[in-house]
Formats: sequence, C-alpha cells, structure tokens
Amino acid sequence: MNIHEYQAKKILSQYGIKIPRGGVAYTPMEAKRVAARCSLRGPWVLKAQIQSGARNQGYFLEKKAGKKGGIRLIKSRREIVRQAEQMLGSTLVTVQTGPKGKLVSRLYVEAFTKVESLFYTGLAIDRVNSALTLLVAPIGADEEITQLAVTAPDKILKIRLDLEGEVSPQQVQEAMEFLKLPPKSAKSLETFINGLHRVFIDYDATMIETNPVGVMKNGEVVALDAKISFDDNALYRHQDIQRLQDEYEESDRELQASKFKFNYSEFDGSIGCIVNGDGLALAALDLLNAKNTGMACFLNVKGGVDKDKIASGIKIIMTNPRVEGILINILGGFLRCNLIADGIIAAASEVGLNVPLVVRFEGTNKDEAREILENSHLPIILADTMQDAVDKLVTAVEESD
Amino acid sequence: MSIFVNKETRVVCQGITGTQATFHVRRSIDYGTKFVSGVTPGKGGEMHLGLPVFNTVKEAKEATAANASVMYVPAPYVKNAVREAVEAELDLAVCIADSVPIKDMLEIKAILAGAKTRLIGPNTPGIITPGQARLGIFPENIHTPGHVGIISRSSTLTYEAVLETRLAGQGQSTVIGLGDDMLIGIDFVEALERFQNDDETRAIVLIGQVGGTFEEVAARYYKNCANKKPVIGFIAGNAVPFGHKMGYAGDIITNGHITAQDKKDAFADAGIIVVDKINDIHAKLAEVMG
Repeated sequence: MNIHEYQAKKILSQYGIKIPRGGVAYTPMEAKRVAARCSLRGPWVLKAQIQSGARNQGYFLEKKAGKKGGIRLIKSRREIVRQAEQMLGSTLVTVQTGPKGKLVSRLYVEAFTKVESLFYTGLAIDRVNSALTLLVAPIGADEEITQLAVTAPDKILKIRLDLEGEVSPQQVQEAMEFLKLPPKSAKSLETFINGLHRVFIDYDATMIETNPVGVMKNGEVVALDAKISFDDNALYRHQDIQRLQDEYEESDRELQASKFKFNYSEFDGSIGCIVNGDGLALAALDLLNAKNTGMACFLNVKGGVDKDKIASGIKIIMTNPRVEGILINILGGFLRCNLIADGIIAAASEVGLNVPLVVRFEGTNKDEAREILENSHLPIILADTMQDAVDKLVTAVEESD
Repeated sequence: MSIFVNKETRVVCQGITGTQATFHVRRSIDYGTKFVSGVTPGKGGEMHLGLPVFNTVKEAKEATAANASVMYVPAPYVKNAVREAVEAELDLAVCIADSVPIKDMLEIKAILAGAKTRLIGPNTPGIITPGQARLGIFPENIHTPGHVGIISRSSTLTYEAVLETRLAGQGQSTVIGLGDDMLIGIDFVEALERFQNDDETRAIVLIGQVGGTFEEVAARYYKNCANKKPVIGFIAGNAVPFGHKMGYAGDIITNGHITAQDKKDAFADAGIIVVDKINDIHAKLAEVMG
C-alpha cells in the first residue's frame, strides 16, 4: 500500500526528520490560505498529490492545466490560486503512472526551502542478501538517480542495516563522507537516517524514498520529498496506516478484489485472465503477447477456498467492459478445481456470460471440475494446456467479432 | 536418491489440526509420506489422522524422531513456527503460508543464519519426491518418479513444468517450489547444487520470473560449475506491462531495472538452455535426455 507525499512527510516528521512547512489543499482558496500559513512572502512550491515518482517531469492531459509539470515553483500569492486551479481536477501523466495518468484531487503547498546541495536516500530490501539496505547518493541538478544506478552504480552507497537498535555512528560517518557533507550536518544526518530506519521497522514499510534531500546553509538536512510503501501483508497490525489508504488511487474493481484478498491488476488489452498464481498470469501474458493480444486484467484467486468469494472474483472480471474474452487457467494444488467450476457457474448465472470463456483445469479435482462445467450447458470451451487455452480463446474472440 | 526428502524422511506437521493441514496431510500419508507426528499448541496428547499431537516441535522430535516439518500455520504465526523448527534442529522446514510480512521474513532469515534447518518457502507448494514423500500441497497425481529435477519460484508454473516432463516421457527426481515471495529460504543456487550432486537427477528445469535477481545469482553459480548437468530455463514475465509502481529503490539495489530478457541473457550466458514458452520445455527435455 502506498500513501501520499504529505502523509509520508507527516510520519517522517514525527520521527524527528526535518521537513519544509506545508499543508494539504483541496481547493485553490485553501491552497492560498495554506501558503500564507507556511510563509509570508514565498516563494512556495505546489505539488500534485498522486502516488508516483517523477511528477516534476510529468505533464497534464488537459490543456487548461498549462504546460508545466506536477511540481511548480510559485512566486506570488495570486499565482498560487491560478496554478492551483490549473492542477486540481486535471490528470497528471508520469513515467510511473502509465499513459492514462492519475487525477489530481489535492495539492501539497510548501514553503520553498533554499538548499546548498541535494542527495538521494532510499531504504529497501536487498532480496538476494535478505537485508534491509540504505541507499545514499549525491545528486547534481541534472542527474536522475535511476540513470546513476545504471551508468554509475559506484556513485550510490549501499549500507546494510540491522533490524534492531540504532544505525551505528560508523555507518552515519560513512554516509557523511560519501555525500561530502560538512561536519555541521553530522547530527542532523544521524537523526535523519535513524528516523528512516525506525519508520521502516515500526510501520512494516517495504520502501522509503526521499528524493531529494536538501542540505541547508546551516548544515541541517531536510526531506524535500517522501515516498513510503507499506507491506500489505502486515497492514493487519497497523490500523492507523490502513486509514490513510486513498481509495481514489484504485479502481472500483481493484478495491473489490482487495476486499477478498485477491491480486487484481488492470492493463490496456482485451483478455480477462483468472489464475491461481502470479507466475501463471505472467506466462499467460507472454503467450497472449506472442499472438498480438493483450491482457485487460488478471485476477489471482490464490489458494481461495470459499466458493462465494471465488464467484465474486470472477464477476469482477466478467463485468470489466474492456474484457472481450476470458481465460481461466487453474492448476489446483491447495485450491480445488471444482470450487472454481462452481464459482464460474454462480458468477455466470448472476451477471451472464457474454464473451467467450476458455477454461483449463489441471491438478486437484480436475475431472470433477470439468464435469461440472460440461453439465452446466454454458458455452464454455475446455482446454488441455495453457497454450491450447490461449489458442482457443484468441480464435473464439476473433470469431465472435 | 533425491534431494531434501525421500521415503525415510520423518515428517512432523506444524498446525496439523487445521482444515487445510488435515486435507493435505491425509493425502500425503495416502501417498506414502512417512508422517510421524503433529504439533498444535494446546492440543498435546490428542490424536489426529492417526498421529500423536504435541504442544511443541521439540516434544514431537523427542518422541517421534521427526527430522522434517511441513507447516500449514497462517502467516502471522509463521515466524514463531520457523523458530521452533530451528530450535528443535530439524533438517528441513517447509512453509506453505502466503502473505508472510517481509519484516517477519527478515527476522526469520536472521534466525536461519548459521542454523542446521533449511527452510523451503514461504508461499510455496512445498517439495515432492515422487513415489516417496510429499510435503506441501502438490497435486500428487501428476507426478511420476524419474530423473528430472524441477526448481521454480512460482507454484503454479511448477505444475506446468511437471506436466512438461510428462509430455517428454520423463518423471521427476524431486520437485521443489522455492516460493513466490520477496524473501525466501532456499534459493535457486542451493537447490541447483543439490541436484548437481544427486545421482538420480540427469537434467534440471529452472522456472524463474521477473523481480529480484535470484536467477542471475543462479546463472553465475552454474556458469562456474564443473560437470554441468543440462539445465533448461524459463523466465515468465516478458510482456509485463506498466503496472502500479512507486519509487525506485528496488531497482537501484539491483543497479537498474531487471527485465525477463536480462534474466534470459544471464541464463544463456551461463550455458542454460533457454525456452521462450513454457510449453517448449518438453521438446528440449526430450533432446537432452536422449
């Protein structure tokens, strides 16, 4: 689960990390009021609150939003209202949102902070070494951290952190030297790194990124941006974080699927896919792609054991208007194929089956499941292998056009 | 021979009285797996599926000489279940649960460091040595004893790979699901090493996917192996479109975004036979098995 920048900054500030004065605004007038509270004379920064990186390099789909990106430097109070009017209600596209972009429904208004230099910090899991890892890198005005990672990985310092206790003084010193920070920054950097570390542990984060961090003239380091992703599997122990979820960031169907704890994702293609493993979805996607057919969405019912839940999941796919054909590919182990068969029939009888549906069952209770479908007299096509299923579905969709 | 489990393996089930455990342990017993006991805290002294139930793994081991565990406990209890298995010094623990919090896995990896116990999973179908032992949730009826070792991150693609061996007229020595999570116990390298040293295994199928760099690490290991057994590799996720994503830190740790093609290139460079479609495995397998 992701949260917005302003929410992330609030959490970081509770752990002693310095952030610029700022506040959230839902209307242009509110933006003006917040700006006045942050700084008497400006300048200010208006930041679109969507859950994506690279907002500054992004663009708005609507003409009324003007040509500037999702982060704007503002010099006068009148300009705040005008720019806020442009951004609010407009759709921001970045390299991380995909071409459809995301609707900007709130802004974060901050006092502009003058800094001497910038650096990047990230805290994430190194999967191969099973370790919590702090990343720091100095960044110049025109440098992008993603580029550095590919072209000059030695310009990024990776420090392995323990789960328990504080970050060691030696590790802080190592970061100080790598970033070439002045000695007067030492205390502030220590607070900063320890704060990131504690937030990560206390809230079961999976990633915290502050890109960039500014170094002020007095040596203090200040988080100019903040992103936090939380572990969905640990949300049960963080009800305060669950409340921060922005339901506007997800489609209705995604929300429904998440209620049943299914994985659900939407794409730009035409085939709806129901599987019981992400790997299976990836492989099906590759096979569809090889036939120049795209996926509209996939639903992973995982090890579901409740027929009603499975039926609800299948309905999510059946009612997606993009879907022109449905591929159900189940390899029963934990999950019994007959439950899926029952779920298909329940869903079809409720919302109707208006597009070709190909089903491939293998594994636990496969024969029973095939029999259930055959006896249902629904126009369901059975397949033997994944390739067979993809071939049959693509043909059936072409014929139904 | 086989790897990790065989008909002599003495298995204890952690969480044996649960619904899923009951369903699958019964099937595993019917399959011939040597289950010796179960553990459910608070139910020590009872019998379940004809097996004695204990309160702790330690007690179960002392009374029934168990040396491997399969656990069907829900995600929030996995950390303590693994700790118990490690403290009882079992050889192997297999964790089926999905949705284990990452922080718990970081702690579990610390518990496992230097320990005798090897962990398979979490979020895995488990491990099966056809005709001998089934620890997990595999659809056992698709397996036959044979000479192909299978290692996979994705559970469902594990089954696909098994079906491919069948199409090639082959059986499996052992099939191991590593688990589909960010952090896992045994990785490709350890499983590959075991298969390399297993007399029964004549060829190996590796099923990887996008995310992380486990496959690259495996490729580096294999490249430097003497006496390589033939390995067929498949990577899922070539056509992954732009999904929801936030931040770059994960890509920075790996020095850039790793694609399915990057992994295939690493495989090919190491001498692994790469197939582009999972249903191409059986043809290659028929070739290498001769």
